[in-house]
Amino acid sequence: MTELLKRLTLGSVLCCVIPLLAACGPSRVPSGLVYCSEGNPESFNPQLVTSGTTVDATSQQLYDGLVDYDATSGQLVPSLATAWTISDDERVYTFSLRTGVRFHHSNIFTPTRNFNADDVLFSFNRIIDSTHPYHDVAKNGYPYFQSIGFSELIDNIEKVNDYQVAFHLTQKDASFLSNLATGFAVILSQEYGLQLLQADEPELLDKLAIGTGPFRLVDYVKNDFIRYYRNHHYWRLTPDVEQLVFDITPKSTTRLAKLITGDCNISALPKAGELPVVIDKPNLEVDSIPGFNVAFWAFNTERIPFNDVRVRQALAHAVDKENILRAVYHQTAVEAVGLLPPLSWAYSSNKSLIDYNPEKARKLLNDAGISDLSIDIWAMPVARIYNPNTHKTAELIQADLARIGVKVNIVSYDWSVFNQKLSRQNYDSVLIGWNADNSDPDNFFTPILSCASVDSNSNRSRWCAPEFDRILQAAKSTTDRVERTALYQQAEQYVAEQVPMLPFAHATRMVVKQKRVTQSKLTPFGGISFTKVTPAVVAIEEPN
Amino acid sequence: MARYLARRLNLFFATSLVLFVVMFSVTAKFPVDHTVALTGIHAPTAEEQASINEAYRLDKGQVSQFIAYLEQRLSGNLGISVTSQNPVFNELTAVLSASFELAFVAGAIALLLGIPLGVLASLSKHKITQHTIMAITLTGYSIPVFWLGLSLSLWFGVRLGWLPISGQINLLYEIKPVTGFLLIDILLWDSRYAWSAFVDALQHIVLPAVTLAVLPFTVVVRITRSAMMSIMEKTYIKAAEARGLRTYTIVMRHALPNAFIPVLKNLGLMLGAFASYAIVVEVIFSWPGVGAWLVSGIYQRDYTVIQGGILAVALIIIFLSILIEVLHTAINPLSRKELYAAH
Amino acid sequence: MPPIKIYQVGHIPSPLRRIWNAFTDNPFAFAGFWAICCLILLALFGPLIAPFSAAHQDPQALLLPPSWDPAGTVEHFLGTDDLGRDIFSRLLHGAHLTFGMALAIVATALVIGFVIGSISGMMTGLKSSILSHLLDALLSIPSLLMAILVVAVTGPGLSNVFWAVGIALTPQFVRAIHQAVHEELQKEYVTAARLDGANPLQIFWYVILPNILDTMIIQTTLGISAAILDIAALGFLNLGAQAPSPEWGAMVAQGLDNLLTAPWTVTIPGVAILCCVLAINLVGDGLRSALSPIRH
Repeated sequence: MTELLKRLTLGSVLCCVIPLLAACGPSRVPSGLVYCSEGNPESFNPQLVTSGTTVDATSQQLYDGLVDYDATSGQLVPSLATAWTISDDERVYTFSLRTGVRFHHSNIFTPTRNFNADDVLFSFNRIIDSTHPYHDVAKNGYPYFQSIGFSELIDNIEKVNDYQVAFHLTQKDASFLSNLATGFAVILSQEYGLQLLQADEPELLDKLAIGTGPFRLVDYVKNDFIRYYRNHHYWRLTPDVEQLVFDITPKSTTRLAKLITGDCNISALPKAGELPVVIDKPNLEVDSIPGFNVAFWAFNTERIPFNDVRVRQALAHAVDKENILRAVYHQTAVEAVGLLPPLSWAYSSNKSLIDYNPEKARKLLNDAGISDLSIDIWAMPVARIYNPNTHKTAELIQADLARIGVKVNIVSYDWSVFNQKLSRQNYDSVLIGWNADNSDPDNFFTPILSCASVDSNSNRSRWCAPEFDRILQAAKSTTDRVERTALYQQAEQYVAEQVPMLPFAHATRMVVKQKRVTQSKLTPFGGISFTKVTPAVVAIEEPN
Repeated sequence: MARYLARRLNLFFATSLVLFVVMFSVTAKFPVDHTVALTGIHAPTAEEQASINEAYRLDKGQVSQFIAYLEQRLSGNLGISVTSQNPVFNELTAVLSASFELAFVAGAIALLLGIPLGVLASLSKHKITQHTIMAITLTGYSIPVFWLGLSLSLWFGVRLGWLPISGQINLLYEIKPVTGFLLIDILLWDSRYAWSAFVDALQHIVLPAVTLAVLPFTVVVRITRSAMMSIMEKTYIKAAEARGLRTYTIVMRHALPNAFIPVLKNLGLMLGAFASYAIVVEVIFSWPGVGAWLVSGIYQRDYTVIQGGILAVALIIIFLSILIEVLHTAINPLSRKELYAAH
Repeated sequence: MPPIKIYQVGHIPSPLRRIWNAFTDNPFAFAGFWAICCLILLALFGPLIAPFSAAHQDPQALLLPPSWDPAGTVEHFLGTDDLGRDIFSRLLHGAHLTFGMALAIVATALVIGFVIGSISGMMTGLKSSILSHLLDALLSIPSLLMAILVVAVTGPGLSNVFWAVGIALTPQFVRAIHQAVHEELQKEYVTAARLDGANPLQIFWYVILPNILDTMIIQTTLGISAAILDIAALGFLNLGAQAPSPEWGAMVAQGLDNLLTAPWTVTIPGVAILCCVLAINLVGDGLRSALSPIRH
């Protein structure tokens, strides 16, 4: 009997111990960096999207633009263009291009020539020229470029010689260079495009991406991971890591847990509420930088009753923004008085016109003759820099609006479905936001509130005010900052009166990372770059 | 025996046919265009529409449509995923192996720990030991699996930092799929990182497998215990004891093989619940298996994925439960005798 | 003056009384029984005794720990969640969603299962065999997959959970009752009744029904615990009750965001589900052993 017990116990113990013993061997991990990202990219070509997740996964990793932003100074710096000149009437921009830049190679493509003016023409003509063979390959168009009226702005692009191109504009535009520096204006390979066209598989251009960036795309498994290898021929300093993996982890808690258990080295978008956990762990730290973004609640102004300005004002007055800042952002965001964040040079710290005032809200609703209002709020299912938890925000607004007798129904779908349904325009209101792609204040108005952006579906309020567009146009056609500031303040005022949307927060941009991962750089706008990241993983890789 | 096998095979086909009928009628009820629900092709061109109409005989009657549906599905055409636009069949085969791997490890844990513990519970004369074991199994039976998984990952993953709680392996290991089963693929992998990758994969599987093992474990313990208790009362055990055999020999040689028969039978009955639990476990631990794939399919209203996944899982369950029944009959002479009794 | 008992009269308890006595002899089962009584009361009157409403948000009290924690307050006995909602009140409000709905589903499934199961059980031959194949097919779809299928057709929501779990459970009831009836039909006493000239209805009502009651009771307790776990699992996967709802599984899902900072938002609803299912299983276990002397 006792012998039997002994054997049974021994057997069970062995079963438990063997896996643990196995864990004690020396652990060697290939050199590389794992970044826990928050979602699937929608495409591997940022020209086709406006989502920050896609820009993170593509712009800075796979591609380069003509010009770039310096992460620290915020000034424009050369990238694939080494220099540029602007004509006296500010309508012709001539770029000199870098020589000796090689495109990536892949299983199906080996470049035979270096980057030149043809690639620039190919990349931009695809957007502006509706007869271009690749123009219609993008099923949803080029939302960012449409929202800033890019096709109307560019008269034509001229190839001066192999290493010089000239952009001819139809009018002066102070934000033109800034727009070229965004993560959307990337350079594709013309040679690859022609090859795919011949093979009759043009849609691969945006899937199996080829660029000039620091990493090349190796593998992508939806909902799972994206794998990149270092581009050995990168024209800047080649990255320190041999391999870069985006571990697609939509849940913030899981991202943090993966960071703690060492499955990833850097993790995107921590929730503010989780920061105490990070601070408790000796091997983790938070990188943060004031964000260049705005979170807002957009009303579909094409719909009844949101076409009535009094209803929009009423709803806006009913929302307790401070409560949202406390519960959703844990005070890591600043309250938005308008669209522009405090970091912008056109910002002015005027008090918001839309204060929290349920009394007034009730009165406005009465004036509009509306009772028993029931509305839908669409809440994004994913975390974004500007809003870490939209659903929670929606629940707070739901409680706020209940106080003025408005019933709220919260609608949410998986991100891809959400996006599709959103572009079908049959929503009442949506909680979403905007992460700036460059430091120009225009980036906060034209892409999300201009008439042009209604067609590109990036104007979530579906609001078009010619008067407002005129203000923006005036602000773009001058380079004088004082004058521009005044004009943008006027635009802010206009938005505050018409309330096509209620901006409520400018969030801090954060990543959490292992301390041994050094020199990662966050930029307030645009994507994230891993070029200079040095993981100490390489150092501990060989213990012997 | 041949007649028996033929009857089981017949049962398998009949049950599968019913399943297909159910799926066929549900597909028509999906709140999307019927062609999208069938093929996953968004806004098909006129050409594509014509070929879909022909393949699924959409212009014919219901019976003819059902036969066409059956032909398509049985030939491996599950349509393409509405969201990723890849063939569902390829996605399915890619995720199935991960699920099998998890289920296999969990099942092994349940059997290797459950049977000894069940025997222990049946032999122990201590009231306390018995009650403790029964209390553990009853709790294990009642525990909501998602809560158990979360608690385990909170303690062992986050608080203690012992085990990873998400995914199958550290993604820096780039393992080429050969068999599809990660643990085997790693062993086949020719690299200096193979051993540490194997350890890493083992560590990743511990928490999900333990969570998933709790349900079968409790069932195995309970069934083994009750089977052992009734067997130990049998006269042939008494006879063996009288002959002076050691308890160890009696248990191992005479009692356990007989106790295993009801365990096997109950394992077969438990498959459905086990699959339900596996889905939740895969979601919690982001395990790249069928369950997580299906749940993300439902979030994205990916109707072809939902259909393909449910068909595959249900077919596997039908097949396995019939297989277990056949095995049960094969090792149990008593039930073979009942085979031809009136029923 | 009471009559003097001269002869010792052995009082023979009725079968029901015997089951009850055997049941109450098991202290665990009896405790479970009381727990279930409390739960039923809570499901009925929980919202009346809850200190706060389920949606009441207190912006001054976000993520308060439970009262036994030094940082907790007695006002929020089990703490608050990330929107400042009182977890204790939400549990009370959710009791009728999770527990109450499980009872309703099982009651429905029992009635349907009883009707179909007994009719089919009385049948023999081809019809019966077709039905059992159909049941085998339906049973081979795990309950959660069945629920996913229903949600795919109707969309997520609390009312659809009723259908999803109900459709998943009903075949189990049908099958259990079908088999019980079928087994009883083979027995000699049924044949004896038949020889006495009883018609099938009489046989079913007077001969078989009393003997399958125990199967039904056991199946019901199993069904309730399975239903609770399924409702909660669907809520957890966001396929059942949607976010602001205080359904217990949905509460766990909502607490998931704060798992690392405020584990009690996940733990407490989880413990509530565990206790609830445990109580039912204790009763089920007790009933099973109380019934077993009769069954064999």
